[in-house]
Amino acid sequence: MTARRPPLPALLSWPGLALAAAVGLSYHVVGGDLGALLAPGARRAMADFARGFWPPAHSAAFLSSLARPLAETVAIALLGISLALLLAAPLAFLAASPRVLATPGDPPSAARRAGWLAARVLLNLMRSVPELVWALVFVRAFGMGPLAGVLAIGVGYAGVLGKVFAEIFESAPRGPAAALSGAGATPLGAFAFGVFPASLPLVASYALYRFDCALRASAVLGLVGAGGVGVQLELSLKMFAYDEVAAMVIALFALVAGVDLLSQLVRRRLQRSRGLFPLGLGALRARALGLAAWALAAWGAARVLDLAWRDVLSPSALASVGGFAGSLWPPDLDPAFLRQLAPAALVTFAVSVLGTAIGALLGILLAYPAAHRLHALAGGARPSPARGAALALAAWTARGILNLGRTLPELLWALVLIFAVGLGPFAGALALGVHTAGVLGRLYAEALEEVPTAPFAALREAGASDAAASALAVLPQAFPQLVAYTLYRWEVNIRASAVLGVVGAGGLGGLLYVSLNLFHHHRTLTLLAVIVVLVTAVDLLSGALRQRLVEGPAERAEAHPEAGVPPVVDAW
Amino acid sequence: MHRLTRLLALFLPLLPLSAAAQEPLRVSAIPDESPTELLRKFEPLGKYLEQAIGRPVKFTPVTDYAATVEGLAAGKLDLVWYGGFTFVQARLRTGTAIPLVQREEDARFHSKFIVPAASKAQKLQDLKGASFAFGSVSSTSGHLMPRYFLLQNGIDPDKDFAKVAYSGAHDVTAKWVEAGKVDAGALNESIWQRLLDEKKIDPSKIRVLWTTPEYHDYNWTVRGDLDPKVVEKLRGAFLALDPANPEHKKILDLQRARKFIPTAPENYTAIEKAARAAGLIKE
Repeated sequence: MTARRPPLPALLSWPGLALAAAVGLSYHVVGGDLGALLAPGARRAMADFARGFWPPAHSAAFLSSLARPLAETVAIALLGISLALLLAAPLAFLAASPRVLATPGDPPSAARRAGWLAARVLLNLMRSVPELVWALVFVRAFGMGPLAGVLAIGVGYAGVLGKVFAEIFESAPRGPAAALSGAGATPLGAFAFGVFPASLPLVASYALYRFDCALRASAVLGLVGAGGVGVQLELSLKMFAYDEVAAMVIALFALVAGVDLLSQLVRRRLQRSRGLFPLGLGALRARALGLAAWALAAWGAARVLDLAWRDVLSPSALASVGGFAGSLWPPDLDPAFLRQLAPAALVTFAVSVLGTAIGALLGILLAYPAAHRLHALAGGARPSPARGAALALAAWTARGILNLGRTLPELLWALVLIFAVGLGPFAGALALGVHTAGVLGRLYAEALEEVPTAPFAALREAGASDAAASALAVLPQAFPQLVAYTLYRWEVNIRASAVLGVVGAGGLGGLLYVSLNLFHHHRTLTLLAVIVVLVTAVDLLSGALRQRLVEGPAERAEAHPEAGVPPVVDAW
Repeated sequence: MHRLTRLLALFLPLLPLSAAAQEPLRVSAIPDESPTELLRKFEPLGKYLEQAIGRPVKFTPVTDYAATVEGLAAGKLDLVWYGGFTFVQARLRTGTAIPLVQREEDARFHSKFIVPAASKAQKLQDLKGASFAFGSVSSTSGHLMPRYFLLQNGIDPDKDFAKVAYSGAHDVTAKWVEAGKVDAGALNESIWQRLLDEKKIDPSKIRVLWTTPEYHDYNWTVRGDLDPKVVEKLRGAFLALDPANPEHKKILDLQRARKFIPTAPENYTAIEKAARAAGLIKE
């Protein structure tokens, strides 16, 4: 990663200044008050909270009562991602640019173009409604329980998977498909044998990565009644039984880490097997086995959740969902209600900006000690054992804090922080910040460790301190990467921020929660539309900013699809 | 098809040897208190009802008021403990839900407006510009009636409060006010009394600002298509609970009831009017 233009002045040019102004305004809009965080009352509340957490509940009865909800959480994630793959596959095929399968010199048909546009719009709709909002809606449509969770993950993740798969297909080499089409293959045939095999390792790897995300998401969905360990979590939070909360958080942490590790292993193998076709019977058999194992696991998950197709597809289920969908129309356009929307959308927007800014700041502060490999390069000489141990300790502490921030979803952080700084959007922004710091900090640390180290080593050699050398030789090189990560994360955060209102952090989520609970379905539809518009606007703005800040105008033309970046970034 | 399954569901329990005779009566309650508390409260009552109707009784705690309304409407719940507002919602949804009984005190229920002890507020009007916590959005005594009486007193919560939040449950509202996280809140008087009795909150940190006029609140409701014989048995069982009988006294105490009295849909028309006036029920 090399800097193509002097990067730091970017902060002083208009985007940097506009950013500073946006953060300042957001702080004002959400009623930010850092003093409240340090007030004695807040410190006492946090201390009480922390004391309540320790020791975690560990009676045999309680621990054994956790097994079932944890199994449900895994099952919801597994079924959800399976459904998402089923939905995403055809949509991704349609949403890949028509040029992928066009024979050279023969423009794609109008029908193909219409299909492409429709698939893109549909994927964007599915993606811009946060999965928790999907869950809230499905809980109303199908009743409380794991089915709503499975559908929420299925629909929400199909949007992301479809988009990323389409991009992967687009970046596959065009030659094989063109040759097949030229030889008279149907589009589907050309796709199946010309595009798909080359894309398969990336597709499988991304699907697995998304399973990790689905697991984290499914743990939270329970907070809105969509089954799994989240239901238990909400009950314990409501009873102020923080020792139980602690036990569940630890169990979740272990579960997520375990699955993370497993999927990393598989993904690494997949990356290595990058090839056009399975090489020989052995590879083919391995793939067939993998698919069979997945299908078996999905079947098992359906058994655990006691779900069947008729829950979704029987006439009575369809009638009740149809009734719900019908009751949404038309949207509520009452002027008095519409007047509430602009301030609410502004709060949601401000929470996402401030939360991302706090996350970026905390993230970089923690990433600096966490980037252990960097500091170990003490200017050529090997560090003394004592210094080495101190560096390692600092790195592990920083990584531990980052992991904690990342493991607890922003909704839980919000419930904690409400007690520290009071109800309202500021608590939401802080919660988003803490969680974002966990995600961004790890990515920042990786980016810092990956830059070429020669400039850093040279400065150290010349006697510069570790901090100075990092600031002057490492940060500028990693800067474009850091900005790209941060902006991607902002797109995730606007979705999170639209949901935080559910726990009293105001904004659109608060209004949505009220309208769903009071069965004001017309308002629900209006709010969903506003959320989609806001999220889409932020996606576009962030994309434009990324181009401006990361790629110089000269490189914009040759900007290649960043398929490698988003997968890591939208991990919550 | 639908009818047929329902008919079957009605008649199968009458066959003494069929497995469906064990089909439990599905009971739930709005989660206006912590669900473990609800479960604890229900346990002896559930055993008593089980004997009275000769059929197992299964209590399912939920975390969502609206889910109990959906559950009854979808025929997934048979008997639900509703607040006045959730009953009105369920009645509007189903058209047939039958309110069985209420506690004697539910006929004259009140909400309390509470503030931290150090608050300068002396009357409702002093709360303008404050941050305010209701309980659940769907709560009668924690949201609907407080909102209604605020409007009656010239305070529009959406305009006159700096911040309005929904704590989700009455005991959480009290905690928030006690910790000074909001300037004021409103909650159910009977839960307020329990929190004081059990010393769950510190009376030196929190005081009552205002008590609302009385209104009808909670009741036990069954779905309209439940077997009328079962409905009558249930109503009879509730009405037969006698405070002089120590066994019964225990059940009644847990329900915070002196005794149960019959109730009728008409008792809740005032609640429905208030909900329409406060804009909580539309169309």
